[in-house]
Amino acid sequence: MTISAAAVAVEIDGKCLLNDVPLCIEPGQIIAVVGPNGAGKSTLIAAIAGDITPTEGIIRYHDNDLQTLSFLDRAAIRSVMAQSQSVVYDFSVLDIIAMGWVRGRDGESARQFGAAVSAIVEECAIAELLGRTFNSLSGGEQRRVHFARALMQLWRPRGSANSAYLLLDEPTANLDLAHEVRLLKKLTALAADGIGILLVVHDLNIAAKFADKIALLHSGRMTCIGAPKDVLTAERLSKVFEIPISIDPNPLTIKYY
Amino acid sequence: MKTSNPQAGHLNALTTRQTRALFGLIVTTLVAAAVACASGSFDISLWALLKGNASALEQSVFNQIRVPRVLLSGLVGASLGLSGAALQGLFRNPLADPGLIGVSAGAALGAALIIVLGSQFAVGATLGAFLLPVAAISGAALVILLLYIMTRGFGYQGVTYMLLVGIAVNALASVGIGVLTYISDDAELRSLTFWSMGSFGGVTWPLLVPALLAITVVLLMMAPAARALDLLQLGEVEASRLGVDIVRLRYRVIFSAAAAVGASVSLSGMIGFVGLVVPHLVRLIGGVNHRYLLPGSALAGAGLLISADLLARTLIQPAELPVGLITSAVGSPFFLWLIFRMQKL
Repeated sequence: MTISAAAVAVEIDGKCLLNDVPLCIEPGQIIAVVGPNGAGKSTLIAAIAGDITPTEGIIRYHDNDLQTLSFLDRAAIRSVMAQSQSVVYDFSVLDIIAMGWVRGRDGESARQFGAAVSAIVEECAIAELLGRTFNSLSGGEQRRVHFARALMQLWRPRGSANSAYLLLDEPTANLDLAHEVRLLKKLTALAADGIGILLVVHDLNIAAKFADKIALLHSGRMTCIGAPKDVLTAERLSKVFEIPISIDPNPLTIKYY
Repeated sequence: MKTSNPQAGHLNALTTRQTRALFGLIVTTLVAAAVACASGSFDISLWALLKGNASALEQSVFNQIRVPRVLLSGLVGASLGLSGAALQGLFRNPLADPGLIGVSAGAALGAALIIVLGSQFAVGATLGAFLLPVAAISGAALVILLLYIMTRGFGYQGVTYMLLVGIAVNALASVGIGVLTYISDDAELRSLTFWSMGSFGGVTWPLLVPALLAITVVLLMMAPAARALDLLQLGEVEASRLGVDIVRLRYRVIFSAAAAVGASVSLSGMIGFVGLVVPHLVRLIGGVNHRYLLPGSALAGAGLLISADLLARTLIQPAELPVGLITSAVGSPFFLWLIFRMQKL
């Protein structure tokens, strides 16, 4: 029960964005994708989410080829929090959160919906935003609502097995410190519940502290993947990011100023 | 897990405000229909009709002229309002109106082709009556497809772009209609003028029944798309991540909007601005969710066009104004106001 990518290559307009990338997200695991701009991080998320079809290689959700799964099947397995979305009409925040509900609309699942909203609104501390229109929110507030929507998609009744996956592209962008910490702690809690998480982050220290595994991308290739202390070495990072970077081993801290 | 949670009902149910708004629209539309059935160049007492002591003349005007006319204007209004709402959802663009973006013009060109060329190639009357709506629907579908392909990926920024494409399509269609006008004979010319202005005059039951069926089918086709259209407002990629099959949604909306607009245009000519004005008003009174907006726009469109037609045939009695003139007179200032408001955003 994993999401896996084997030898994935993505070529768009003759430009090779990803080349021969392997990846496997286990349940309960947090994998951080790091790398310089243009390394292919967002392309990797898009390919794993199923937004784009790889030119080569195969992506599997729970042993099924992603290409053979319907959009609804995919939505039941993985949830995506993208970098930014705008909404044209004046939907309320509650409308936007409700859009994340993919578990059916009648009987038992409709009853669960109410419980899910209450729980997630509290966890994400967005109760005071609920009655507002989405377009009137600040950038950071909008991201918190999109995070809540992504959680709605993953929600399962307490006690039932949750073999879902969460993909996030720069989830902490635009968030203030308190909300950044809240979001990262929530990710840790989700992983403890068995949810597999793949996130793109720029902040190497966040990756070092919160990820079980780090995938280092460079020029569309997976340079290295493994435990933070193995991947994040001063020599490798300095070479990939093209600035002098030093490492404090305990706790693992990356310094580049 | 209690259902007393205030958010629990949000998934399927309308808000209280939306329920009230829909109820109000139903009542308004019914009242407009009753008034429109009773008044005109010949006033009928509905009370007498109900009591069964109306004159034979009153009964026949009511049955053969008023009821079909009010029904048709209601159906056309409903399909224009509904297609406007659905297209504004599909294009993620509040200025998508079947008239403004050239869909009605495409349908009119299709209809004009059949009116003029059909008679010149001696297509039989029965076949012609069947070909007319088909041609109008095909014209409308072609234009929507073209627009969709040309404005893809523009999102909200595509507003200007879409209107420009609409201007070009409208211009192209009027060239086509112009050429057809030039080569048409007297009788054809009269029919053509009727298409370009829009009118509900001369409706009969045999004409009405196919339209009623077509429009009912369209309403039923649109209804299941409501949630998908809501999700689409997050963007195509995001909607597909939430389980929406974008390609299927796209063809469902394009086909049903084209069928609705095409059937309307083939019966009553071009009636502008209904698809623009109606969804805006409906959003203003009750919100933006499509499960409310789609039925609301159908109802409000029906009420609006029934009233507009009543005005059209009572303002300069016993003569009649084209109903398209009334809707444009109301709609174009509204359009200007919308542009003015967007400028301030």
